[in-house]
Amino acid sequence: MIHFDNVTKVYANQNRPALDHVSVDVDKGEFVFLVGPSGSGKSTFLRLILKEERPNSGAIHVAGKDLARLSNFKVPHLRRRIGCVFQDFRLLPNKNVYENVAFALEVIGKPRRFIRKVVPEVIELVGLEGKAHRMPDELSGGEQQRVAMARAFVNRPMILLADEPTGNIDPATSIGIMKVLDRINRTGTTVVMATHDAAIVDSMRKRVVELEDGKIVRDQSRGVYGQAY
Amino acid sequence: MRANFIFSEVWIGLRRNLTMTIAVIITVAVGMAMLGVGLMINTQVGMMKTFWYDKVEISVFLCSKDSAMPACKGKGATPAQVETLKGEIQGIQGVKDVIFENQTEAYKNFQQSFGSNQALVQAARAEDMPESFRVKLHDPDNYQPVIQALTGKTGVAQVINHKDLIGKFFEMLDTLRWAAVIVAIVLVLAAALLIGNTVRLSAYNRRRETGIMRLVGASNLYIQLPFVMEGVIAGLVGGVVAAVMLIVTKVFIFEALSKYLGTSTALGWDSVASVISATMVIGVFICVLASFVTLRRYLRV
Repeated sequence: MIHFDNVTKVYANQNRPALDHVSVDVDKGEFVFLVGPSGSGKSTFLRLILKEERPNSGAIHVAGKDLARLSNFKVPHLRRRIGCVFQDFRLLPNKNVYENVAFALEVIGKPRRFIRKVVPEVIELVGLEGKAHRMPDELSGGEQQRVAMARAFVNRPMILLADEPTGNIDPATSIGIMKVLDRINRTGTTVVMATHDAAIVDSMRKRVVELEDGKIVRDQSRGVYGQAY
Repeated sequence: MRANFIFSEVWIGLRRNLTMTIAVIITVAVGMAMLGVGLMINTQVGMMKTFWYDKVEISVFLCSKDSAMPACKGKGATPAQVETLKGEIQGIQGVKDVIFENQTEAYKNFQQSFGSNQALVQAARAEDMPESFRVKLHDPDNYQPVIQALTGKTGVAQVINHKDLIGKFFEMLDTLRWAAVIVAIVLVLAAALLIGNTVRLSAYNRRRETGIMRLVGASNLYIQLPFVMEGVIAGLVGGVVAAVMLIVTKVFIFEALSKYLGTSTALGWDSVASVISATMVIGVFICVLASFVTLRRYLRV
């Protein structure tokens, strides 16, 4: 599903590469934790999958597509197959829960009938039934993150990328968030989650890829956050 | 593509930047009106040129008895001299036609031209009128050889090229036209920059929305269209205001002008209509172009 082959990324005006000859394979339906200290290249890894950045060398395949040969014109179609969740939720403050989720479908031109059917289903999946007409500022952080997950998942993407989704949320609420991510993973969606949260990684017992200074220092199935910590 | 979604986005964008939108509309309107006036003057001058150049001739005034013109040396032109001159003029290259105007005819013309000034008409007598040749040319611009050939001939008092007289008037109109066009170009430039700025503000205001749109895979067209539409709408409204200004100009300036210059050279509504559509198209085109160029820079897709 995601295939990195010897990928190196150096940002302009920087000597040290953000990713240094990284090769990794993520299969369909896998759940992968991406761990490592700040600046180790986790976010770069995710941005490369979305083709928000281009690698300096190496090849990236996502959902069977060679990103180097994917024209800019087709990048939006790639992104429709990838859902994204961030630490800061990125909801639209002037739209309610339903509208925030529906927005993702409206802007890719889905018909209204389809939206009316699908959005309530997804809102229920993330556990926000009955809160469809709340505004984001009336929700807790955990609930806002659920809205963001509903928006990321509403188009049934093949891949869900989560960049520290529990970073702004207390540990008790994080468990709920992880349950939703696990539920999404069980529908067959590949999940890649970058995180600092050792407790979550240890409790989930999923594959762990550890980055340090742009290099993969560990790739372990059913791993934990790290012995050293 | 969901039209109502795009239009609600456009409406939000225009409302958020209301002052900038108004500035854009005014600049586009004035710029397009100036451009339109320039085009209208252009058409008017073109029409007047074809009308007047047909009638442009060279007058060769002949010496009459007791003429005060130094070239005559106090002697009038004899009928024999007149005949020779006529033959000579017909022989010059580029001459289309020569008409002799005797004193009686000249007096009639004089009475007509100065009919409003009876005292002058009363005071003048037919004998005071100079005889003249009216020389028509194939090419009114090629008058130099005729004037050179005739000036200083015996019996010729003075050679006057009518083109010199109306040329001054056309020169003035030309200056007016260029002034209007230059002002229009400057304003169009200002309008383009203003539109760029508006679109940039709009893109900044909606960076959250566009960021999410990018993330969920909205196509570039879908993301950019609301911004371009904002430019188009501002351009169209500006164009309509410019059209009103042009109609007012036509009614109050060009029609007043045609009263002095004769209705045969009046600017018709059909040319006003084509000028208005031309300025509209140019205005909207510039708005779209300015929006696109700005989006390339400020809305990474």
